[in-house]
Amino acid sequence: MIIKMSKIEMVGPKDQLMDVLELLRNKGVFHPDAEVKGYVHSEDEARIRGLLLNEEAVGEKIFFDKLRIKIIELLNCLPEVPSRTVYLHPIPIIDVLQELVEKHLETCREWQQQCHALRENMDALGRYLRFWSVLEPMVREVNGDSGLKFFGVTIRSVAEIDLLRKALETQTRGRCRLSTENMDDGTIVGLITTDPEMENSLRQLLSAERVPELALPEEFANLPFWEKSSALKRQLEEVSARLSVIERKQQEFSRHWLPIYRRTLDWLEERLALYQATASAYETRQCFVIHGWMASGDVAELRRELNSAFSGKVLTHELEIHQEELDRVPVIMHNPLYFKPFELFARILPLPKYSSYDPTPFLGIFFPLLFGMILGDIGYGLILGLIAALLIYFFPQRNNLCDGAKILGVSAAYATIFGILYGELFGDLGHHLFNLQPIWVERSQAIVPLICFALSVGTAHVLFGLGLGIRYDVKRKRHREALVKAINLLVIFIIGFSLIGTLVPHPWSVTMPLLATLLLLVPILILAGGLLAPLELLKNFGNIISYMRIMAIGLCSVLLADVANRLGGMTGNVIAGFLVAGVLHFFNLLLGVFSPTVHALRLHYVEFFSKFLEFGGRRFEPLSKKPK
Amino acid sequence: MEKVLLAFAAALAVGIPAIATAWAQSRIGAAGAGTLAEKPEMTGTIIILVAIPETMVILGFVVAAMILVMI
Repeated sequence: MIIKMSKIEMVGPKDQLMDVLELLRNKGVFHPDAEVKGYVHSEDEARIRGLLLNEEAVGEKIFFDKLRIKIIELLNCLPEVPSRTVYLHPIPIIDVLQELVEKHLETCREWQQQCHALRENMDALGRYLRFWSVLEPMVREVNGDSGLKFFGVTIRSVAEIDLLRKALETQTRGRCRLSTENMDDGTIVGLITTDPEMENSLRQLLSAERVPELALPEEFANLPFWEKSSALKRQLEEVSARLSVIERKQQEFSRHWLPIYRRTLDWLEERLALYQATASAYETRQCFVIHGWMASGDVAELRRELNSAFSGKVLTHELEIHQEELDRVPVIMHNPLYFKPFELFARILPLPKYSSYDPTPFLGIFFPLLFGMILGDIGYGLILGLIAALLIYFFPQRNNLCDGAKILGVSAAYATIFGILYGELFGDLGHHLFNLQPIWVERSQAIVPLICFALSVGTAHVLFGLGLGIRYDVKRKRHREALVKAINLLVIFIIGFSLIGTLVPHPWSVTMPLLATLLLLVPILILAGGLLAPLELLKNFGNIISYMRIMAIGLCSVLLADVANRLGGMTGNVIAGFLVAGVLHFFNLLLGVFSPTVHALRLHYVEFFSKFLEFGGRRFEPLSKKPK
Repeated sequence: MEKVLLAFAAALAVGIPAIATAWAQSRIGAAGAGTLAEKPEMTGTIIILVAIPETMVILGFVVAAMILVMI
């Protein structure tokens, strides 16, 4: 349900504003509101103005902001290492840190650049080594000392090998050879062997055909081919060693300085957040004034804490909330243990207005009921209950999953209860095995009674929604809307009674006055709600008829379960029958979870909540410490 | 013959709304998938929107069931 809120005005000496804000932020219960209207009498508005920080405070804020940016930059340069927690207060060392951070940043940037260059070098050397380890045996095969010229190339696809071979034959008039090999990562490497005279024309051809040549860096190019591989390995090891040295330095630096800088950054961010919060404060000549909202239950405790911390110099007043301010009041929803999991479904909707209703309790009461009416099977209910219990037992830390499992558990209990009423245990299996009989109605045989039942449930639900809507409109002093809803409610009642009058033997004298009242109410409805009001009335009937899905989906579920049992029985073999029926029941169970959930939710969101809920509430965002 | 016609009427009563529902759900589903790519927080709303046209086939089913009950 929606927590009762209070409109708060806080007044105190100007020099204690930051301390007050710090206390409010530590408590995390106060939502500041920078809007003055509604808090201050219009004649006093000229005497208060938005709080302006003095020169010293502005200088301090700029100093902190610059230091924060530098520390963030420094932390981005440092590797993550396990570090100790530091409880040092940054204020005594803040000036030293300001000087140190410049030097540290310079050193760390240099290390980072060196690491970057070395890693690039290592990547390139690794690539060369991989290619050369494939090319080396090929060169050895064609005799590398023969004075021939070698080109290492990478080829994009198998289809290109033949095309390249033909182009090479044409260009060199058969004075070259192409050997290819696949690398581990699927790249095709080619070795072109030719005599030195053909070198230039071949290079032109490769360029024209866009075949990338594998050219080693200059220091390796002139080495004999059998030394290239070992030279590449040596170079790679050397670069890796240099990188390790720098990384060790970085880690050592991180272990020493990271906790200090992190603690300082947290402190700076908290301090700057306080400066930001001053934007919602106002000042007179000597005082500060802060306006905002908080839960009424927290006001007394906050007042007590402010009194003890500031010796009664900071005063807290609760102001009256006017009708026109209701839309500005932030909303906090808090529900008892049973309803709490159903907030999962309520979160799908936008936040309701403060003066409206929290949808969670309604979902908590009606959702499992509708789910149970639709699924209604002892076997399915017990299986779903077991699944819910297992989910809650094995995943207690995963909040959403745990909430979903709790909802499933409650819904499964209702499905079991309705299963007993319908006499269903895995469809008609209970009847065949244990002679289970329905206490109330057999769904597969009683279509018309179930239609009447679904319509009755729909009528009751929609009428309840309309009743809540009337209460809400009266509370908001929207009498015309309340009247339209009341007439809608009456018309539905009258038509319902008239229908009952035609179904059962009943004196016409009762039905006739009802119809006469109906004729009287329709013109009043048009007068109160305009020409479109009858359409709204028709929509309400559409909403009621929509509840027939309770019967329709439930009937599908029970018929599918019966079909599963019959197919299982037709196999003539216990194991095969068990498997066939088991698979079909499993799919029916999946549908039995998804379908009733979606449709029960839809009946709430579209048919029920549209009668009384008003969305567009303001989220409660108190001054609070950022979550670590 | 009358029974055949009634059964045929019941089939039409559920079949035509089923096609209409399928068409509407395909359009809503496609738009919903596009929406979810940009706003995953709309999942709940999209599921509800996809379920809305099912009213048609449910009403068709009810009409078909009532026709069959009369046979």
